Amino acid sequence: MTAKKQQSPIDPRQPALRDHGVFDAEISYKAPTLSEFVRLLAWAIPHRQQALYSLILVLFASFLAILLPVIVSRVIIDGLLIQDATLTMPDLGMSSLVASISDRLGLSVLASALLLYGILTLVCHSAYHLHRITLARTVMFALRDLRLALFSHIERLPSTFFDKVAVGRVMTRVTNDVQALFDMLMGIGMLIGEFVPFLIALGLMLAISAELTGYLLIAIPVFAVLTYFFRMATRIVYRQIRTSVSQLNQNLQENLSGIQVVQLSNRERRNLATYQAINDRNQRQEITAVSMETGYGAFMDNMVNMALAAILWIGGGEVIQAQISLGSLILFTQFVDMFIRPIRVLGQQYNVIFRAMASAERIFQALDWDEQLHEPTHPLPLPPRFRGKVEFRDLSFGYEPGLPVIKHFSLTIAPGEKVAIVGPTGSGKSTLIRLLSRSYDFNRNSIFIDDLDLTDLSSDAVRDRIGVVLQDFHIFAGTVLENIQLGDPRISRAAAEQAAAWVNADQFINALPEGFDTLLNERGQNLSQGQRQLLAFARVLVRDPEILILDEATASIDTETEQTIQTALQQLTRGRTSILIAHRLQTIQEADRIVVLKRGELKEVGSHEALMASRGIYYTLNQLQFQTLETLS
Amino acid sequence: MTIKSTLRRLWPYIQQHALPFWGGMAGLLIARLFEAAIPFLMKQGIDALASPDTPSLNEISNTLGPIALIIVLCVTAQIVVTIFSRILIRRTGVIVAADMRHKLYDHLQKQGPIFFAQYPVGDLMARAINDITRVRELIAGTSRTTMVLIFTATVGLSFMTLLSWQLTLAVMLPAPLITYFAHVYAQRIYLASQRTQEGFADLSTFVQQNLNGIRTVQAMAQEHREIEKFASRNQAFADDNIALFKDSSAIGAIMPVIAAISTMIIIGYGSHLYQAGTISLGTFTAFFSYLALLLWPIREAGSIVTQWQRGASGTARVFEILDHPPEIVDQPNPTHPKLTGSIEFKQVSYRFPNKDQYAIEALSFSVPAGKTLAVVGRVGSGKSTLLRLLVRMLEPEQGEILLDQTPIRAYPLPYLRKNVCLVLQDPFLFADSLGGNIAYDDPDRSQEAILTSAQAAALNSTIEAFPEGLDTVLGERGVTLSGGQKQRAALARGIIRMSPLLILDDCFSAVDTETEEHILTELKLLRAGLTTLMVSNRVSTARHADEILVLDEGKQVAFGTHEVLMTQQGLYRDLAHAQQMTEEGPQ
Repeated sequence: MTAKKQQSPIDPRQPALRDHGVFDAEISYKAPTLSEFVRLLAWAIPHRQQALYSLILVLFASFLAILLPVIVSRVIIDGLLIQDATLTMPDLGMSSLVASISDRLGLSVLASALLLYGILTLVCHSAYHLHRITLARTVMFALRDLRLALFSHIERLPSTFFDKVAVGRVMTRVTNDVQALFDMLMGIGMLIGEFVPFLIALGLMLAISAELTGYLLIAIPVFAVLTYFFRMATRIVYRQIRTSVSQLNQNLQENLSGIQVVQLSNRERRNLATYQAINDRNQRQEITAVSMETGYGAFMDNMVNMALAAILWIGGGEVIQAQISLGSLILFTQFVDMFIRPIRVLGQQYNVIFRAMASAERIFQALDWDEQLHEPTHPLPLPPRFRGKVEFRDLSFGYEPGLPVIKHFSLTIAPGEKVAIVGPTGSGKSTLIRLLSRSYDFNRNSIFIDDLDLTDLSSDAVRDRIGVVLQDFHIFAGTVLENIQLGDPRISRAAAEQAAAWVNADQFINALPEGFDTLLNERGQNLSQGQRQLLAFARVLVRDPEILILDEATASIDTETEQTIQTALQQLTRGRTSILIAHRLQTIQEADRIVVLKRGELKEVGSHEALMASRGIYYTLNQLQFQTLETLS
Repeated sequence: MTIKSTLRRLWPYIQQHALPFWGGMAGLLIARLFEAAIPFLMKQGIDALASPDTPSLNEISNTLGPIALIIVLCVTAQIVVTIFSRILIRRTGVIVAADMRHKLYDHLQKQGPIFFAQYPVGDLMARAINDITRVRELIAGTSRTTMVLIFTATVGLSFMTLLSWQLTLAVMLPAPLITYFAHVYAQRIYLASQRTQEGFADLSTFVQQNLNGIRTVQAMAQEHREIEKFASRNQAFADDNIALFKDSSAIGAIMPVIAAISTMIIIGYGSHLYQAGTISLGTFTAFFSYLALLLWPIREAGSIVTQWQRGASGTARVFEILDHPPEIVDQPNPTHPKLTGSIEFKQVSYRFPNKDQYAIEALSFSVPAGKTLAVVGRVGSGKSTLLRLLVRMLEPEQGEILLDQTPIRAYPLPYLRKNVCLVLQDPFLFADSLGGNIAYDDPDRSQEAILTSAQAAALNSTIEAFPEGLDTVLGERGVTLSGGQKQRAALARGIIRMSPLLILDDCFSAVDTETEEHILTELKLLRAGLTTLMVSNRVSTARHADEILVLDEGKQVAFGTHEVLMTQQGLYRDLAHAQQMTEEGPQ
């Protein structure tokens, strides 16, 4: 179920070819298979006690539910009102129970019957209530476990997975797909609650009149077949509706996202026509579905009435012939409802089950996805502190086989050195730092930290010692303080505040309504680009990593903040090995060495002055690319 | 929105389909009559059976036969009428929803940037999907249920009173209790279900944010902490669900218990009346059926209020958008002359809503037809605002913008935007083919024209690299282009239109300078005699223009050719020097 740790590392030069496209495939309807169903039910095993309570309660409640109409029909109508004692029809001992209550409490038979009726009703519905709650608990807890397992699994998938699969596709598996199972599992649980009275009612009805019951039983396959054909027919329409609805939504979403282009291209009328065509199609499909649903629904609703007419017609004769008592006939009519309900419920569950099984398949597919980073079987112990020497030794890497992104890259960075990496988009800068932070698998003997082969170290341990500031600062749900501490108990509040002060983030933080305790909204929209950058610095600085990796943000920042950030950056890089993907002139100029990368190859290394003097790529890049506007004035 | 004002707003939409809607409502009333007649007929049958002078089998059959036949007919009539009426009403709901969706789409396309800044796409999507569904439910479900409720109660009570008014009164005693509980629980369930919906949204947002930042999460080794946070949300969501389920299960248990009180009244008081000879056995049993019939409307009466509230809030949210007037409205008597693309700004000022500072202040300049103007300035200097004023995405607060000596307001909006083409800084591409994206304004454009503009935008090598060429599908389900490729595709989309005035809003930011040079040269050739306006941060780009406008804080600080501006002290020369400086090394 969970990914097993790979024991023998596969040659990472040939990454296993996986078809991530399966995550894009839209499975929306699927016939249930026993194995998947069993696998699903297995999640309820830890909560089997609740499930057992639920089952016992429903059996108990169903039995009482059967007794109630028996009291009315047999005890009151047959026994009291028409005093028909000639026939010995089944009454499940209710007559004698009422008689004994009447004896003991000295009440009239009618009063005793009413008392019994009242008590049984109360107990019966309380039991049903508890049955539903225990059932909901069982299902909800099982799904909670499943959802957590799924999230934990996805959370640990490697970068290669997230490079290929869109976030939205994975997200809906954790949210919507798990939720879709709730309806199905509750429905199945409730169905048990419907079938128990069905069986008891069937037994009792057979005892009253096998002939009448026989007629009713003929009706069941007829309804079942009708239901089946109806569901087959609606399935097609619903599939069409799902398609047209998602087309409507996609069209609108895209149109709104690109509304400026739409308006500037004068496409409004054309787009409206396209939308309306889908809208019309959707409307026709909806009307078809509504008509079918309504017809079927009304038919099923009235099955009870039709059965009643038949019973009166046939059963009436039997009463005359004194084969059954009038009370029993009335009882019979009351049971008809219990008899027909499960069939209706089953019909309603049909679509739910098919849709839910598709969800189940999507969930298991994600849960079974065993892509992972190759960790060493016996990771080497890390020194208490790295000196910070980083060495790339003839490093070659590609995300896809045959498409190298980094080619024969060699570079040694001395402890405490500050290196800026520059190069055009797609030159492999980001890949280089991703490899160093151990987000991907790569060849042995390629990257060394303090002369230790990176592939011999555990990735978690390495990441703990390397501070990474990515372009896009990710805000975790929580306060400013929590975003700096990240739940690390070793980091005190004072340390976090101190780190924020070092990078000059304290000024804006203290200006926030609740200072360090201000809740950041999830995308950090209440922070400016520059403020987020400073916060990211503080987060890394407080951990005091031996090696710093920074992917500088490219976004435009106002001059004042720019200056603050540069000062903070100097703080941050002081005394530690720093590798900076630089976009700003000042950052580059302050580096000890500049590495020029082009198409994955190291082209030039040296100080700013040396590189400018050699008039190579760096010189050209510098001339053309760096936007000096923002650093000016 | 109150229920009354909701109805008033929806009235015109419903009245467009008045015949099916009200016909359906009338049908529902008739169906209720048939339905309520069934227990009445059953009573006749049972009375015949229970009659003390045991008649012969033949006599009974003669009595029961027609009754059973009439019951069958009533059931059939009830089914048929119900089906047709329900379909008529639900159909109206579907059609009104489709009408509204169409109207909303049309209306949204007329809105400007201020509107879209106020309403994020997600919010608008929610209104178009969920709130229109609520309107549909209101028309097809809630209003129908309300009517059925009233009909059933009226018809059912009438039949019961006809049979025995004493027993009817007695049976109805617990009714207020039922309505009370139903109302209380409907509120509780509504709130609880809102809480679970929020919980679900919370969970979804958390997962989405987490996955969006998964690189950071993993780089900072935060997986276990994120899982813990998820677990607590997950637990809260499960608890909320169970709480909701408890409430709905509780009302499901309370209702039959209260109904049992009515049943006990029928048993106790009914059998007393029977023994007293006031009612027949058939009446006695018929009351059980009527009770079952009435139980539903009494129970629903409580939740119907909540349903109306929900429908009203959905309706209000849809109309909030539909009532929002478009920012830009065409003037009457618009003109359609052939345009050459000369521009003149006369003391133009613009301020964003709720801002004190001007984004553009008293700006005056002109560009003769066929010339190229570069606009240079810092971030926030008003460059983008200026461009948006030209295509009337924004309307100036003061002053006038002339295109071919005519105020741009005099042109119909589609005509203006046909002649003035703005290429945005952020290149938005549609999930369509590459060719379809380039020929976005007119899908009937020839392959040749597409390739020519792609060539000018230096996109030809990109196209050649794709096996499917121009037919390559972009977006989530297709190929993802790099930032530079996207920008060039957006550029090609603008170039292809050969509009008298082309405006480029910093369209080379993700394009390397070599390619930029190539594109600018191509543009010069292609657009000879046409007017071009471009925003840039680079002096090397601006140098290509005939004249340069330097903006700072919304004001014009310099205007002239590159050569002239270089002789003057100011922002432009500083800028040029700064760029020069980096060419020669620091200091």
